[in-house]
Amino acid sequence: MKYTVISERIGTVGEEFVPGAGTNIESLLAHGFIKSDEPSDSPTPKSAKTKEPAKKD
Amino acid sequence: MASATYLSNPGVMINSVNLTDMCTSATVTNTIEALEATAFGSTSRSYVGGLASQEITLDLYMSYAATETYATLAALVGTVTTVKVASTDAALTTASATAPRFELEGCYLEALPVINATMGELSTISITFTGGVLSTIVA
Repeated sequence: MKYTVISERIGTVGEEFVPGAGTNIESLLAHGFIKSDEPSDSPTPKSAKTKEPAKKD
Repeated sequence: MASATYLSNPGVMINSVNLTDMCTSATVTNTIEALEATAFGSTSRSYVGGLASQEITLDLYMSYAATETYATLAALVGTVTTVKVASTDAALTTASATAPRFELEGCYLEALPVINATMGELSTISITFTGGVLSTIVA
C-alpha cells in the first residue's frame, strides 16, 4: 500500500509517505494528512465460472 | 553562571505529524522503576532496577482546524503510536550528539481533553503518552 502526503504537517505535499514504526495510518487517513494511492472502488475481477462435469452413476 | 545552557526550543512530532508550532511545553521522562532489595542486616535501603516506564507530557494549543491539534490526536485516544521530541525542530529529521532526538515507540494515549476553555484565553491542553520503548537518536 502506498500513501501520498496531502498535509504539510506530515511532509512535502505530493511526495510519497513512508510510515515509520508505530505510525497509526488510520488516524492520518481519516483526518486528511495522507491519502491512499490504491483505488478504493476498482472492481474486483471475478473468477471464471467453471461448469462441473455431470456425475455418472 | 552556567557554562552551557539550552534555550528551550524543541521539535515535537506525534504520529508523524509535526506539531512544533502548537506546542509550548514538552517533558520526556525516562524512568526505571526502583525495586526494593533491602534485607535483614542492612543499615540503609537498597534498590535494583525494574521495568522501564516512559512518559512524555506535552502542552499544546488546541485547534479544531483541519490537520491541526484535534485532528492529530482525536483518533489516537486509546491506541499506541510513536512520539518524537528533539532538542531542536531540525533534529526531528537530523539528530546529532549535541542535538539529540528522543523517540517513544508504542506509547499509549489514555486521555484527550476535547474542550479546555477559559474566557479570554487561548485554549490549551495537556496530554501524556505512557509506556513504550524509548530510544535516543544521536546520528
